[in-house]
Amino acid sequence: MPLWSRIFRPERAKSDLDAEIESHFALAAADKHDRGLAPEAARRAAEREFGNAALVKDVVRRIWGWVWLESLQQDIKYALRQLRRSRGFSAAVIATLAFGIGAATAMFTVVDQVLFTPLPYAQPDRLVTIAEASIHGKPDFDRGAAYLDLRQWQQQNKTFAQLAYYITGSRGNFLEGSGGSVEVHLTNVSPNFFGTLGVRPRLGHGFDEEVEPFPDGKNANTIVLSDAAWQQMYGGDATILGKDVMLNGQAYAVVGVMPKGFAFGGERDWRQVWTTVHLDEEDQGRKNRSRGYRAIGRLKDGVALAAAQADLKTLQAQIVKSYQDPDVREERASVIVRRYADSIVETDLRRALIALLAAAGVLWLIACVNVTNLFLVRATARQREIAVRGALGASRGRIIRQLVAEGLVLSGAASLLGSLLALGAITLFEKQIPSHLRLEVSASANGTILLALVGLTLLSTVFSSLWPSFLAARMPIEPALRQGGQQSGTNRSQHRIRSSLVIAEIAMSLTLLAACGLLLRTIYALRHVPLGFRTDHIMVANLTIPAYRFAHRNMTTELYQPLLERVQHLPGVQAATLMTEVPLGQTFHMVLSLAGEGYGAHRTEDNSIKSNFRAVTPEAQQVFGFTMLRGRYFNQQDTAGSQPVAVVNGAFARLYAPNQQNLSSVLGIHLLSMRKNQPVEVVGVLDDARQNSITQPEPEAEICLSQMTPDSNSYLAVEGRAMDLALRTQRPIASITPELRSLLLQASPEFANATFTNMDQVVADSYGNQTLAAHLLEVFGGTALLLCVTGLYGLLAYVVAQRTREIGLRIALGAQRWQALWLILRQAGVLIIAGVIIGIVLALASGRFVRGFLYGVAEHDVWTLMIVALVLLVSGGLAAYFPARKAAKVNPIEALRAE
Amino acid sequence: MTREREPYLNRVELLQGTLDMLILQTLQWGAQHGYGISQALRAQSGEVLQVETGSLYPALHRMERQGWIVSKWGQTEQKQRAKYYRITVEGKKQLARDRSKWETMVAAIGNILTPTTES
Repeated sequence: MPLWSRIFRPERAKSDLDAEIESHFALAAADKHDRGLAPEAARRAAEREFGNAALVKDVVRRIWGWVWLESLQQDIKYALRQLRRSRGFSAAVIATLAFGIGAATAMFTVVDQVLFTPLPYAQPDRLVTIAEASIHGKPDFDRGAAYLDLRQWQQQNKTFAQLAYYITGSRGNFLEGSGGSVEVHLTNVSPNFFGTLGVRPRLGHGFDEEVEPFPDGKNANTIVLSDAAWQQMYGGDATILGKDVMLNGQAYAVVGVMPKGFAFGGERDWRQVWTTVHLDEEDQGRKNRSRGYRAIGRLKDGVALAAAQADLKTLQAQIVKSYQDPDVREERASVIVRRYADSIVETDLRRALIALLAAAGVLWLIACVNVTNLFLVRATARQREIAVRGALGASRGRIIRQLVAEGLVLSGAASLLGSLLALGAITLFEKQIPSHLRLEVSASANGTILLALVGLTLLSTVFSSLWPSFLAARMPIEPALRQGGQQSGTNRSQHRIRSSLVIAEIAMSLTLLAACGLLLRTIYALRHVPLGFRTDHIMVANLTIPAYRFAHRNMTTELYQPLLERVQHLPGVQAATLMTEVPLGQTFHMVLSLAGEGYGAHRTEDNSIKSNFRAVTPEAQQVFGFTMLRGRYFNQQDTAGSQPVAVVNGAFARLYAPNQQNLSSVLGIHLLSMRKNQPVEVVGVLDDARQNSITQPEPEAEICLSQMTPDSNSYLAVEGRAMDLALRTQRPIASITPELRSLLLQASPEFANATFTNMDQVVADSYGNQTLAAHLLEVFGGTALLLCVTGLYGLLAYVVAQRTREIGLRIALGAQRWQALWLILRQAGVLIIAGVIIGIVLALASGRFVRGFLYGVAEHDVWTLMIVALVLLVSGGLAAYFPARKAAKVNPIEALRAE
Repeated sequence: MTREREPYLNRVELLQGTLDMLILQTLQWGAQHGYGISQALRAQSGEVLQVETGSLYPALHRMERQGWIVSKWGQTEQKQRAKYYRITVEGKKQLARDRSKWETMVAAIGNILTPTTES
């Protein structure tokens, strides 16, 4: 039998040894039988000759080391029996630990999936993004680099194995599948894009890497599909290669289907498609407004990030000389290289998740401390049993092992329950997570998480049961045996340990509760920010515009105006407006960048003003109730034939007005040009409505949608991507949706994909991470409070039980009831106050972790801390009151007679 | 687990350390089962050495763990199942070592017991 099976299958090895000895008997008996003994006598003689078979077996087993495993088995069996006998204790331990482990596991699952899941590319840690940066080192990751710059990087760098570039398509791309036109996520990429990522298509060869996209050559009108697009729109047609599919009304030949799980940007189950970048004359020059491409590169083996950055910086210093405009030269003087993986998850989100993970860790620690306390009580209660075992010859190690086995069984059960809790929690939050974190998290287990779970279980055991076991095993045997009963010595040091544990629990709970309190105040503050527009009774439809259907037609007059007209005539609709994005929306964001202009004192260092930008119809004011600071809003007289006008907000005016003392001076200024030689004039200043961010008013400029014509600048960008339809109505959304949907379908079949919501929801969604963080912290803080209250209660109840006799004696000698009450309350008070003070220090120290989440409240907010401290004092006092009352009710006669 | 030595393990009827050598020597002639080994030792010693089973089996298992012998279930000539032990290459080396140690020891003890009178 191989060694391993002897070690891992002691049962089998044991029977093997039995069989061997049995065969010895048989052989010996047969021998004796041959020499003339009767069979039974022969057998007996053989057994006698052999001697003590049981002892031989024992010695042999010890040689093989099976005893260890056998006694472990025994330990676990014994532990189970013990725990069955004390169900209350077991349930308390399992429930407490399950909360701690569950919270930690759930948070870890989220963090692991969001921050640590490797990207679906070859060696993703070698992939970097490159952005041009200003002379001050301020990178602009959104702008992208001009084609000529990129070309030079590609050809002259010394540190990159491959360098690709891409433009993520905006909204409004439709692919025609077997079930109609569906919006897809389109990215225009360089031919070597997939090669740079190191992923080959599962079908076909992808784009021809030999051909640079200038001219398109073989790659013109070819398309690569993601697995999701292929499966959902073409039913996974295996013969799709070479066939034409219709993208925005144009035929593209399929040259590849990417493997399942491959995605670039966005979410994994999106329908993504890729075509090659189409270059034109605009890409042949270096102007400020040159089309910007994002760069992604694969570092050569062994090249460090810093080396690649230095390499490109040197190159860029040469490149930037080709720019005519000195401002642009400054703006693009440098280069920043960073890991692609780091660019995906925003720093804020990363911090938020890690802070929440830390909070879950604290909760787990509180649970462990609580369980340690339970184990300590139990060890004291079992003092006699343990002493008896010691007296009967169990070594100290053996006793510790026995107690740890019990701990292990309990933590095992707790982690089982905890992972179920975690799974439940994630499934519950799954629907919230994407809207708050804009990420996809699923309740699936993987190796890392299982490993974390096993680690948590073992650590919980070590924390909570190993230490009490050591203490218990170290107890001298003799006094425990001599003194009898419940009253026997709890020693002072143990009591001190237990008190410190309770103090630690209270302190940690206060820290969690303080964070929770700060977030609740933040949410309260956010909800009470005056938005500057109405949100009630507004229904919103998010539309994606199939611009290709309206090529060579005027969308303003042929799509939007008739649609708006019909919607306004729906019964119960008071007003309706179209705007590129509703206030606080997260669908289609446009930014107006005014470079090298502006009058205000707050001109930024690179002389450009960035402002949010919207195209709206005049009815927006009736729907949202914007108030004007100066001038007027758009009205029905603003038409394609009249002077193009714009409206800005106060924040914009403060940046742009020539005279800072008088915001009206912004009126009449020419902002941008609507058409050639037709500037847009500012006619009004809006009050500072929170149209883009609740936390602060941001600069905002709006133009009138009805003034746009196909020859307007940015006509396609503004009208041909996405549009929000907002309408003010008293009718419930559910009742008006079908009518609205049929109106939309009449306008264009692609509007079947429109989504409906209301303004209150849009505002709630824009609160962002704080809501989820606050909800989680409510749960964590509440659980922590519960745990520390039960911990305190447990300790005091135990103390009262211990001191019953003493208290009885005191009362018998004339002490008043209130003095007994006070005796216990005083002890509780010391613990609670010590815990609260340490907790306040901890909360102040950890304030910087939550600072990023807060709005309208400082991280060291005195009121929050006071309220939280009060909550703990009151609940701690309640927890202390019941044991104290019990102490006051001690009947001296009974207390003294017992024993 | 405590590391105390089991007194039983050390109580060997033979001279300390010789049992292993004798077992290995017996196995030189071919694979043998436990009962066979004890019988062979008795017969070859002229019925002088009686190996206690209480020492034999622990010794066998200890040597198997050391890798000096390997075991395999087989059948005796009388068609009975028995576990046979066979000496390994490592065991043969050990036997040679034990043997030379033993011979040195015997010579040394002999020298002490029968001192030569040369001076």
